[in-house]
Amino acid sequence: MTEQKPIVFVIDDDPAIREALDSLLRSVGHDVRCFASVAAFLDAAKPDIASCLVLDVRLPGKSGMDFQKELTHSETPLPVIMMTGHGDIAMSVQAMKAGAIDFLPKPFREQDLLDAITTALDKDRSRRIHVAELDALRARLATLSDGERDVVAQVVLGRLNKQIAGDLAISEITVKVRRARAMRKMQAGSLAELVKMIDRLATEPSAQGH
Amino acid sequence: MPRTSFLPLLGGRLLMVLLAVLTAVIFVLDTITNFEIAVAVLYVAIVLIAVQHLGRRQVVMVAAGCMALTMLSFALTRTGSVASGLVNCAISLVAIAVTTTLALRAAAAEAAAREAQAQLAHITRVTMLGELTASIAHELNQPLAAIVLNGNAALRWLAGQPANLDEANKAAERIVRDAVRATDLIKRLRGLTKKAAGKAVRLDLNQTVTETLPLIQNEVSRHRAVLRTELADALPRVHADPVQVQQVILNLIVNALEAMKGEPQREVTVLTALGQPGEVLVSIHDSGRGLAAAQPDQIFDPFYTTKPDGMGMGLAISRSIVESHGGRIWAQAGVPRGSTFTFSLPAARERQ
Ligand SMILES: Nc1ncnc2c1ncn2[C@@H]1O[C@H](COP(=O)(O)OP(=O)(O)OP(=O)(O)O)[C@@H](O)[C@H]1O
Ligand SMILES: [Mg+2]
Repeated sequence: MTEQKPIVFVIDDDPAIREALDSLLRSVGHDVRCFASVAAFLDAAKPDIASCLVLDVRLPGKSGMDFQKELTHSETPLPVIMMTGHGDIAMSVQAMKAGAIDFLPKPFREQDLLDAITTALDKDRSRRIHVAELDALRARLATLSDGERDVVAQVVLGRLNKQIAGDLAISEITVKVRRARAMRKMQAGSLAELVKMIDRLATEPSAQGH
Repeated sequence: MPRTSFLPLLGGRLLMVLLAVLTAVIFVLDTITNFEIAVAVLYVAIVLIAVQHLGRRQVVMVAAGCMALTMLSFALTRTGSVASGLVNCAISLVAIAVTTTLALRAAAAEAAAREAQAQLAHITRVTMLGELTASIAHELNQPLAAIVLNGNAALRWLAGQPANLDEANKAAERIVRDAVRATDLIKRLRGLTKKAAGKAVRLDLNQTVTETLPLIQNEVSRHRAVLRTELADALPRVHADPVQVQQVILNLIVNALEAMKGEPQREVTVLTALGQPGEVLVSIHDSGRGLAAAQPDQIFDPFYTTKPDGMGMGLAISRSIVESHGGRIWAQAGVPRGSTFTFSLPAARERQ
């Protein structure tokens, strides 16, 4: 992944707030994209780059609160920072429970927003790295032949070459050859590493698409 | 809420015709049937329909007519036992009379409730309390937040290496624009209060007090408090907007109730009295926890509050209302406890 400038998305129905946020965030070097509504945001293209969303609670159409909930339950959970016009404790608790990075009552200190954005982008960056790694592993796994995959499945269970050969009705030599090939294809330096890789693929819910 | 009617689609004239026909039918039936059959009781239906659609006096006239017809039928009926006819006739008359009284009373109660509701709605509108304040706070918050953000942005553009004067300039222009927006909002708010300071009329403050108390009775009961009045006789009238005076009284009573939360004795007294010459006084005395000794004048400042969910606007609004009428408002420690809030209004000149 080439390190591109991360994107900060902003949804607020008030043009004055949008302009101000756009200027402030650009002044610290962010790439900013502002939208007046959830619908406009959904219509826009979202490049595959670390990003986060600064979201107003009160919006015409779909409310920020509802949209945040949707986002956190979607397969591409964009980190969200909520803003509200009128500090509402109950609402902020709700937002934080739903996984918001931060909840900022307007007017807020600019540093609080910038800090929250840094946290949000870090979180999104590591999520993307994680997803990319998994994708790579999955791609490598796909290159294994059926025979190699059978052997690997047994190896990770901790079984001996002799047992595997017996079960699969092949020679012990063949087991060793297939195991070595599988390790090369998976780019595993050791047996332990191979086991870890297979484990990781097994426990990860097959999150697809971005 | 509109009064429910089982004849919603009928116009006034059509209704009268229908009532007349119905009455005639009942009358004929009553007359040609035996004494034993009390058809006249059906007149009750006429009365009930009339109550839904006609004024008080007309309803009484309709009822009287029905009763007269009942007696006429009795006189004209030829068949059956006269004794049971007499009993039936009496029952019908009583039924019509009782129904009319009850129905009229219910209608009056309903009208009073609706009136009180409308008044309360008007008052909430005038005070800008509740929802409206929340939305104004939100409205005002937006330009303020934008100003703060633009200020920060401008500083950062200036602090850059090299400084970006063009961006800083634009941010500064936005600050000015948003500040104007905030000022406009405040001007509009002022306009709103001013517009509310409308119709001054000659007012009997005793009557205003009496009419205001039902509006707050629910609150009083909810606080399990007792509300009493001590109204002075022969007060001169004042020249004031009744809705606004009501507003002040309500604010003061609400405060009194809130000050008595958790106190063993909860009693609010509303008093009227003569003040200085040419001045009428209204006092609200409570048996609450009393005023904090600190600064008795501060409580009239906008946004001064000691309550977790208070706006601190009640007394500020009350003071601006009273002063716009040429009066004064002040607070004193109550005797033996609690506090007393008093406002004065100048007496109106006697009409020549
Ligand atoms: N009857 C009273 N007894 C004791 N303290 C009072 C009384 N009335 C007012 N106060 C004090 O004065 C403060 C200001 O009153 P005010 O009515 O302006 O605002 P509030 O009641 O706090 O909020 P709200 O805007 O909801 O009326 C109160 O918070 C309270 O501390
Ligand atoms: Mg108050």
